[in-house]
Amino acid sequence: MKLKDQFRFVRQNMKKNRTRVFMTILATAMGCAFLIVLASVGFGLQKSVVKEITERRVITQIDVHGKETKEQGVYRALNDKDVHLFETIDDVKAVTRRKMLQQEGTFSIGNYQEGAPTFVANFPAEIKAGFELSKGRFPKEKNEVAVGYNFLMNLADKDAGDDRYDEKGQVKAEYLYKDELLGKEINLTVHQFKDGKQIEKTIPLKVVGISKKPTKEWAQDSSVFISDQMLTDIEAFTGTPKGYMLDVNMNKVPEDIELNKNAYDDVKVYAKNMESVQSISERLKEEKYATYSVVNELKEVNMVFMIAKAGLIFIGTIAILIASIGIYNTMTMAVTERAPDIGIMKAIGASPNTIKRIFLLESSYIGLIGAFIGTVVSYGISYAVNFAIPLIIKQAFGQETDLNLVFSDIPLVLPIICVLICYGVTIISGLRPAQRATKVDVLKAMRREV
Amino acid sequence: MITLKNLSHDFVIGKKGRQTIIPVLRDISLTVEKGEIVTIVGRSGSGKSTLLNLVSGFIHPKEGEIWISEEKVSELNEARFADFRINHLGFIFQSFQLIPSMTAFQNVELPLILKGINEKIRKSQTEAMLQKVGLLDYQDHYPGELSGGQQQRVSIARALIVNPPIILADEPTGSLDSETEKELLQFIQELNRDLGITFLIITHDDKVAEIGNRKIELKDGRIVEGVLT
Repeated sequence: MKLKDQFRFVRQNMKKNRTRVFMTILATAMGCAFLIVLASVGFGLQKSVVKEITERRVITQIDVHGKETKEQGVYRALNDKDVHLFETIDDVKAVTRRKMLQQEGTFSIGNYQEGAPTFVANFPAEIKAGFELSKGRFPKEKNEVAVGYNFLMNLADKDAGDDRYDEKGQVKAEYLYKDELLGKEINLTVHQFKDGKQIEKTIPLKVVGISKKPTKEWAQDSSVFISDQMLTDIEAFTGTPKGYMLDVNMNKVPEDIELNKNAYDDVKVYAKNMESVQSISERLKEEKYATYSVVNELKEVNMVFMIAKAGLIFIGTIAILIASIGIYNTMTMAVTERAPDIGIMKAIGASPNTIKRIFLLESSYIGLIGAFIGTVVSYGISYAVNFAIPLIIKQAFGQETDLNLVFSDIPLVLPIICVLICYGVTIISGLRPAQRATKVDVLKAMRREV
Repeated sequence: MITLKNLSHDFVIGKKGRQTIIPVLRDISLTVEKGEIVTIVGRSGSGKSTLLNLVSGFIHPKEGEIWISEEKVSELNEARFADFRINHLGFIFQSFQLIPSMTAFQNVELPLILKGINEKIRKSQTEAMLQKVGLLDYQDHYPGELSGGQQQRVSIARALIVNPPIILADEPTGSLDSETEKELLQFIQELNRDLGITFLIITHDDKVAEIGNRKIELKDGRIVEGVLT
C-alpha cells in the first residue's frame, strides 16, 4: 500500500470522529506550546546573558594576569619574555602590553585639568589588536601623547566648585574645555614625597592623537598614552619604578613594586578568531598562566543554561506525555470502532504491517499536527511575553527593563526538539493500539463481534 | 488448484481446566481442479464454513496440509498469507462484508490500493469492474444506499478486481431474493466459463449446489459424498 494512499485512509478515518480527533490534537498542541514556551524562557535568558557578556568584552581577547611560580597559588607579573612566548603561540593575532603610571597623572591645559590613568603602550601591538585613532597620529617623539576619546569629557575648569557634576555624575558642559585638543600642549604633573614633603614636576606634552570612540555605548576611555622614554624620565624624578608615589612616612618602595619594576601591568592576548580562543587559553593554562576570556566565561554560562534548558524541556515533555494519554485513548477507541473494517481489510489481503502502519500514521498525524499548531501558538505567546513583561514590570515595580533583555526566545532547534519529542511520544502511544489492530480476528470482526 | 491433504481441525471451548475439544473436520482430503466449480453442502455444524475458513487462511489447521496453486499455504504465516490472499483469492461473503463508510467505488478499489496499484490505473480498472457488474451509476453510493443484490455485486466486483484465479464463496446467495439469486448464479457461471475462474462455494441451498461441476457433502466433519453434477 502506497504512503499516499495510507495518508488518504488516515484522513478519511480522522474525519469520522472530528471532535475526538480535534480534542486530542488540541491537547497535544497545548503540551507542545507549553514545552516550547517553557524552554524558550531558558533560551531567552541565555541569549540576554550571552549578549551582555559579549558586548562587555572583545570576544577574541584573553586577559593574562600572571604566571604561577613554583610556589602553588603565587603568581608573578608578566615581562617581555612572557610576551615573546605568547607571540609564538599559533593563531595569536597580537599581544598588547601596557605599563601603568603608578599614580594618577594630573593633566592640565590652561585653567583646565583632569586626572587620568596614564599608560605606556606598545602601539604596533595595539594597532594589530584593533586600536584606532579618530584624529591625528600615533606618538613618535618622547613628549608626544595620544589621549582616549573621552579624555575631553573630564577636562574641566579647576576653579569650578562641587557643582561641576550633573545628576549623571558627568562634568557639566559649561565647565568643560571646548577648544581643539589635537596639536595642543598639555602639562603632566607628577608628584612624590621626599623627606616628608610633597614635591612635583610638570612635564609639557603634545597631544598628537585621539583614540576612536569606544564601540560600546557605555564604555569611556580617558586614558593617556605616554612614551617609554617619558616614563623613564618620570621614574628618574620619583626615584621609584613606574613613578610609584610613596606615602609621607614611607622611605622605601614596597617589595612587590620593586620586584615587578620591568613587568607589565596589563597584558592581553588577541586570537585570530573566536574558535582559536579556546586552544590558546588551554596552551596558556598548560604554561601555568592565569587567564580569563569571554569564551571561557561563555562556556560556563552556556553549561549552566544547557542544564537549565534540559530541565525545562524535561518538564515540558511531561505535558506532552500527558497529551499522549489522549492519543492512546483516541487510537484505542479508533481500533475498537474500526475492528469490523480492519477485519474486512485483512480478509481481502491487508497484511498486519499495513494495518499497523495505518494506525501509527494516524497517531503520528495527530501528534505532528498538534506539534505544528503548538509551535505556531508558542511563537505567538513568546512574542506576547516579550512585549508584555517589560510593560508589566514597569507597571508593577515602576522600573524600566533593559532594552536588550529577552524573556523568551525560540531558536529553530526548539521546535525541532519539540516535534521530535512529540513524534516519539505519539509513536509510542500509538504503538499498542496499532499492535492491537493487527491482532483483530478476521472471523470475529466480520461477524461484528469485536 | 486446491488440494487438501488429511485435513483435521477442532475447536477448544470452555474455560481453562474445563476445556472441551470439539472435532469439526476429520481427515479431509480433497482436490479442486483449475476451472472447476465445487460446491460444498451439508447441514449446520457439518464443518463446511470451517473448511472454507481454513482454505481462506482465516484459521490454521490443527492437522493436515492445504495447497493452493502449488503453494503450501497451511505453513504460511499471517503476513505471507495476506500477500498470497490478495494475489490468488477472491472472496464472496453471505453478508457482503463491505466497509459501510466507503462508497461502492472505494470498496471495489480497496484491494488495488492494498496491492499498491497506481491511482490512475485503479480508477480505470474499478470503473471497468463496476461497469461489468452493472453498478457504474451507483459508484458513489454507500453500501447502506444499495439493495442486497447490488451490495453482493459490489462484493463480487471487489473479489474480481485483482483477477484472482480462485474465488471462495460462503453462502453467496444467503441474503438474496430468488430473482437476484438466479442472476448471481448465472454471473458466477459466466465468470467460470469466460475467465476460467475456479470456485469453491459453501452453501446449503440446492439451487446453488447444482451449478457446481462437483457437489461435496460434509457430515460431522467428514466427506460423505462427492458427486459430479
